[in-house]
Amino acid sequence: MKRTVDVNIPLGPIHPCFKEPARLKCEAKGERIVSAEVELGYMKKGIERIMKGRPWQEVMFLAERVCGICSVIHNMVFIEAMEQISGISVPPRAAYLRVIANELDRMQSHLLANFSYCYTIQHETLVMYLLDLREHVMDELERLTGARVTCAYIIPGGVRCDIIPENAELLQASLDRIEGNLRRYAGMFADGPMIALRSRGVGILTPEAAQRAHAVGPTARASGITIDGRVNHPTYQKLGFVPVSRTDCDNYARIMIRFDEVAQSIGLIRKCLQELPAGVIRGGGICKAGETRYSGEAPRGELTYFIKSDEFGRILEIQIQTPSIMNIEACCHEMIIGVDSIADVTSTFVSSDPCIACTER
Amino acid sequence: MGYSLIWYLKEFGRTAWIKKFLFAKTAPLTTPSYFRGFPEPTGRICQHALFCMMACPAPGAIEVVHVGKGWMPRIHKGHCIRCGLCVEACPHGVLKSGRILETMEREGTSLVFSFRVVIDPVLCTGCGNCCTSCPVNKVADAQMGAGGHSSNDEVIMKVQAGDVVVIHEEKCTGCKTCEGACPTNAIRIARILEGTQQTVHEGSQ
Repeated sequence: MKRTVDVNIPLGPIHPCFKEPARLKCEAKGERIVSAEVELGYMKKGIERIMKGRPWQEVMFLAERVCGICSVIHNMVFIEAMEQISGISVPPRAAYLRVIANELDRMQSHLLANFSYCYTIQHETLVMYLLDLREHVMDELERLTGARVTCAYIIPGGVRCDIIPENAELLQASLDRIEGNLRRYAGMFADGPMIALRSRGVGILTPEAAQRAHAVGPTARASGITIDGRVNHPTYQKLGFVPVSRTDCDNYARIMIRFDEVAQSIGLIRKCLQELPAGVIRGGGICKAGETRYSGEAPRGELTYFIKSDEFGRILEIQIQTPSIMNIEACCHEMIIGVDSIADVTSTFVSSDPCIACTER
Repeated sequence: MGYSLIWYLKEFGRTAWIKKFLFAKTAPLTTPSYFRGFPEPTGRICQHALFCMMACPAPGAIEVVHVGKGWMPRIHKGHCIRCGLCVEACPHGVLKSGRILETMEREGTSLVFSFRVVIDPVLCTGCGNCCTSCPVNKVADAQMGAGGHSSNDEVIMKVQAGDVVVIHEEKCTGCKTCEGACPTNAIRIARILEGTQQTVHEGSQ
């Protein structure tokens, strides 16, 4: 069939709206997008190759450097995979502390994603508010672990340091402040008429299309597909975790579901602090030989590690499957098609929260 | 329009707002005391356990060097990733970083090391460089020749009939000198690390 294409528009790899380099090649008819293709490979690190042959205590630090935004979950999934291989059990207090660190990380990742979207639709007030809120979350992460991004908090058999009661109280107070601000900003986003013009009904990803493209994480949950890796995690099961979802399927839903999840994370951290069991934070245990496949829920969706280790806990083979590649696929093959203007292409792309550092590793 | 003008005048004509607008100052940026920075010496005496070097995940970030008569860890700041594992690994509390050291002492946590000598029989040529370079071997048998042969059974490893035989693995201090001396990268020191905590400790419960 003959197809009329007026103009080919390449967006990126250097683009003011993208956090990381990726090239979107759009074919447009008028200003309506007919088809799009994404081109990756501008920042390949080869980190899986660097990990090979190293003991876990070195790979742990490499794993959290795969992605700068969701570093805690990479650390957590890698260490829990090593624990599954070696049969190490985690003390309950350490398991709860892991959830606190992980949820704080999820909060800052979602706030950064929403900041990025607001920046793309040029709502700069909300941009500054959300970045400010994220800084408060980062401060809490630093108070808990000692570092803002590369925390290295989780080790096999436990965590590195305990939370002292004064810090737990400070965290509670800070969560109250963050929740109040979050409600205000989410309300600003939900009620803003200009935001609705740019977001509602733009970048529709129907549930069928989401399943076809294997969308994961908030992108899938905004299309009404309730998948969340956290429901399979024993600690989250103890906390009574139930995933949230929305059925609007557009950019607006994808941003609002992240606000919902930040509020949900605040609830999970509060529950963790209330129910925090007493006891040790490190149970010991030596990493052994074996191979496994282990998944966890990253802020962007399902993160899977395939690991093969030798009898001294050194990594022989490692493969990482990150969530962003599926979301990028869903974005450029389903969401962008039929978008009405070029300005909406960037905002739709950013609303699926692509993390290129994760994707290319 | 008129209504909003009044609103703006009311909002921004407040004394508190004007005061804040004119005299508000941002608090100076300070590094919090719990921030995990570069490791610093605490002043305790280094006893050359070398665990800091063994735990360090960054290549060449820390080395233990002669300072005067004793030993002292030296941090290469360009290489250090500020993970704080050296602080946790040191059994004598020589280094500190953020609040890691006091947290460890309060909670009774520690990292326990053990070392295994692994020699790849395919790559090993039996040259004996590892045996002669090993500092523990030098103490155990000062007479060890260039080929790594020894009549002493107190050494960690020696060459017997063209192959390197590991005799006393438990004596290995994990210094990795043999790894650097091996021409074919056949010898590797496996560093096994375990995070432990004393089950009964004062402080909490």
